[in-house]
Amino acid sequence: MEETKMIKVYIMGKEHEVPEGLTIMKAIEYAGYKIVRGAGCRAGFCGACATVYRKANDYKLRVALACQTVAEDGMYLTEIPFVPANKAIYDIEKVTPKANIILQHYPEVARCVACNTCTKSCPQDLKVMDYIQAMKRGDIAKAAELSFDCVQCGLCAARCPAEIVHYHAAQLARRIYGKYIAKPSPNLEKRIKEIEEGKYDEEIKKLKQMPLEEMKKKYMEQQKNAEKERD
Amino acid sequence: MKIPYFPGCSLKSDAAHFEQSAIEFSKTLGVELVELPNWNCCGTVHSLTTDDIMHHLACVRNMVHAQELGKQLGTNKLITLCAMCYNTLAQVNELAKKKPDDLKTANEFIDDLPDYEGKVEVLHLLTFLNNYVSFEKIAKVVKGRLNGLKLAPYYGCLLVRPEHVKVDDRERPVLLSKLLGMVGAKCVEFPYAVECCGSYHTVNLKEAVIEKTYTIVNNARENGADAIVLSCPLCEFNLDKRQKDVKAVYPTFEPMPVFYFTELLALASGKKVNVNAHYVSPENVLRKYGL
Amino acid sequence: MPRRSVIEMELIRGYPEYMRESIEMVAKTREARAKEVMRRLTLEEREEVLKGFHPDYKPDAKVEIKIGPSKGEKAPKEVERLLEAEPLIDESDVDLTKVDFDVDILIIGAGGAGTVAALWAYYSGVPKENILMCTKLRHGDSNTMMAQGGIQSADRPEDSPAIHYLDVLGGGHFTNNPDLVEKLVMEAPRIIKWHESLGVMYDKDANNNFIEISGGGTSRFRMHSAKDYTGMEIMRVLRDEFRNLGMKVLEFTSAVELLTGEDGEVTGAVLFNMETKQYYVVRAKAVILATGGFGRLHIMDFPTTNHYGATGDGLVLAYRAGARLVDMDSVQYHPTGAAYPEPIVGLLITEKVRGLGAQVINKIGKQFVFPLEPRDVEAASIIKECYSTENYVVTPTGLRGVWLDSPLIELLRGEGTVVKSLGAMHRMFARFGIDMSQDPILTFPTLHYQNGGVAINVNAETDVRGLFACGEVAGGIHGKNRLMGNSLLDVNVFGKIAGISAAKYVKHKHSKGKLTLNHLKKYRKELKEAGIKSELKSPMLLPDYRGKAVLSRKLDIVV
Repeated sequence: MEETKMIKVYIMGKEHEVPEGLTIMKAIEYAGYKIVRGAGCRAGFCGACATVYRKANDYKLRVALACQTVAEDGMYLTEIPFVPANKAIYDIEKVTPKANIILQHYPEVARCVACNTCTKSCPQDLKVMDYIQAMKRGDIAKAAELSFDCVQCGLCAARCPAEIVHYHAAQLARRIYGKYIAKPSPNLEKRIKEIEEGKYDEEIKKLKQMPLEEMKKKYMEQQKNAEKERD
Repeated sequence: MKIPYFPGCSLKSDAAHFEQSAIEFSKTLGVELVELPNWNCCGTVHSLTTDDIMHHLACVRNMVHAQELGKQLGTNKLITLCAMCYNTLAQVNELAKKKPDDLKTANEFIDDLPDYEGKVEVLHLLTFLNNYVSFEKIAKVVKGRLNGLKLAPYYGCLLVRPEHVKVDDRERPVLLSKLLGMVGAKCVEFPYAVECCGSYHTVNLKEAVIEKTYTIVNNARENGADAIVLSCPLCEFNLDKRQKDVKAVYPTFEPMPVFYFTELLALASGKKVNVNAHYVSPENVLRKYGL
Repeated sequence: MPRRSVIEMELIRGYPEYMRESIEMVAKTREARAKEVMRRLTLEEREEVLKGFHPDYKPDAKVEIKIGPSKGEKAPKEVERLLEAEPLIDESDVDLTKVDFDVDILIIGAGGAGTVAALWAYYSGVPKENILMCTKLRHGDSNTMMAQGGIQSADRPEDSPAIHYLDVLGGGHFTNNPDLVEKLVMEAPRIIKWHESLGVMYDKDANNNFIEISGGGTSRFRMHSAKDYTGMEIMRVLRDEFRNLGMKVLEFTSAVELLTGEDGEVTGAVLFNMETKQYYVVRAKAVILATGGFGRLHIMDFPTTNHYGATGDGLVLAYRAGARLVDMDSVQYHPTGAAYPEPIVGLLITEKVRGLGAQVINKIGKQFVFPLEPRDVEAASIIKECYSTENYVVTPTGLRGVWLDSPLIELLRGEGTVVKSLGAMHRMFARFGIDMSQDPILTFPTLHYQNGGVAINVNAETDVRGLFACGEVAGGIHGKNRLMGNSLLDVNVFGKIAGISAAKYVKHKHSKGKLTLNHLKKYRKELKEAGIKSELKSPMLLPDYRGKAVLSRKLDIVV
């Protein structure tokens, strides 16, 4: 049996020995820190554990989600669990999908100098600058699409020389897309109308009163006749 | 002929009719404007600070995209429409050629794209039509005529200044008059052709722009024009959309329609003008000339 | 056991060579398998595999609860310990005469259910100043945020709420509360409509209808998704709306005990600021529990898909205040947790992967179970393959698993589908050099969901007056097993109902109750009578993952 290999990591500058192969988050915990700020879903969805780090002998400042990245020997790291960023307040009912709507709520978007630092700071590898540029030209659908996988960790906003709050602006773009550019589902409208007219009340009432054995039979029948994949 | 083309932000929103008419008209000449992939805002306004490389990155990125697309299409040209974009791109392009050290710095910063080699030629569509197509050929290709439509050709600042990127004479530019004259328009003498429209003051000093617009439009009318023709979405906004504010201050003011030059070229070659894109409706003027 | 050095091992596109041999076999059978459909198990066969291999059926999995309103019922021992632990505070610790927040409604938990409840309480006419929400992490840090696959709503013409109803009931082994199920399925389309109006970006087709696929145990295509970030998308929008309305949330502030009035009704709570260590006394006419589930208790030592704060606090708070629990004897293990690579072991691989066509494959490239059985059956079948046959794959750290043949999705639905529809999953594996559109991924069941919880009625009321519950903390909706896509639905439907009911309740309640911890006296008395003396304190608030070496040298010196 091999011994567990230990590596050195520098958490906020302080040297710690941790077993190799742990995520940055688990390495921080192994080193004795009980995280209150800086851990959320622990699975790459919430953006609570945004981390910046440098590797030994490398000038590049790198970014990661602590829960999704393995700690490496010689890593200099700190979590950035919060980024000050002002969110625009709006009434989604009154917002319209016109071209300059994002600029109206986030005028600083116009300050983008296309340096692409935001894209390089994104632990999700999103094309952040491209969606900011899409906003500038009023292409809300593109901005919504390109920003969709954003976990709102805020690293883009922390690094931007134009002081843009990318992830808040993107949230607005997506909501405008979802509400105004994507149209309501006709099937859904119809079904709601049917429910409100009481179309299913009788059937559900019957199911609720059905003897268990009969219901089990009906259930298995339903499972057997499950919809098959359409071509 | 396929040429890389940089639209700019306004041409994707308020000035969509500028882009559309330019693309349509170019097609009639056998020129396909190929939009740069992944282009970004030109970075307007050009920063005059000598060591402000950060504010030139946007242009350099676009130059790289133009260079790479150009390699595929076999050309080093890049066409622009918006006077502001043209000016910003052309100025940075000049800097890139004159200051290789600064270009190196920019290239090193932009580590996600190939280096810009400094060889792209930035052209405003007007220059391209003049130098690489020729107005004579245009006159031959364009079937229709503008029936003597009286126009005040307006250049504003950015097409003719500064010296090293100007498309025409700084004080007495003639390109628009020549071009539109070839397709049947009649361009009037227009002393305010290179007057500033008030530019970005429109955002926080509307009053200044109102005065400018009032003066410029009246001068066009006094010189006998029925419409203004131009090549800049910001000038267009100030001269067209701001006429509403002018009217509020000067109740006797008479509105005048404003065209992009490409709209008139497309019109002359048989396309329709999108009248809904205009604040001051051009319908009456077009009717007057049977257009 | 010392770990083998994974990092130094030679990896080929993310996998060690010996795993590649099995991957080859999976690739070899892929094309033939694409047309092969496994038979679904009968009810009897389901029963058999569950009894044989589901962790719930292990003899030491569950114990009887010794005190309280659900005394005599069974619960996982990890839960039972907390239900019978010492409270974090007692009467002498806090001054209840000084009220820090005096509101109509206090919502404990700020995930999906809590936020939905807050919004609907506000829509129902409660002024925003009179609604207070608190959470021990940040607003939105919750299992809702992590729900990937989708949300069910029977809105296609081929489907109906009645079909949905029977799917839910059968999936839960007919143990669900039928009234709650009825609410769940009938309210579903209206929830989706509400989301549409708020701007949630659901996947839609050219006719603007939802792109819907099937999930385990669903007999119709009913799963609405937003790529594989469905929960995140819903949560982001709800939170944005909450912020736009200027509503109030206290972050990093957990509830440590409920407060009760003279008649035992809930009158508020004691909150604890986890950063400054200060407590707050909240007086409220109604309290909505939306604290989520218990994955971080690591039932049966399983890894979990759950967020950091999923420690079952709500169960403890409600139970001490006198609320009954239901279906606590069943725990949901998601069939497909990541089994490799080591840093992501236990994290969720969404059921949408199977919904899109990926099959579950053993070491020698063969299917052994219909990929979309209800979750408990699917999970038990995978455990069976791993622990009663030789056809499992062993990871470098000694874990067992089977393949989820994700490249089959590309074969069935066209190249690029994995990246387009499973962006989050693809990204998670790509971070470790694995391209799941080209190679299968290794899975094993992981602790996923608290099927049972605090008993509620159709108005989201618990047995204790003034206390409402919604979301994962509430029980009865899913019976002994929840189907995919019904939890996002549940947090929305019952969050909405809780918000509306609580709003109605506080409108008719003119005076606020007294603030006491009398229920703790009763609780302690019961502990004593049952002869229980626990070293443990609860609620847990957060799990402790600190290194053992550090903890063994720990001193409690206040700095």
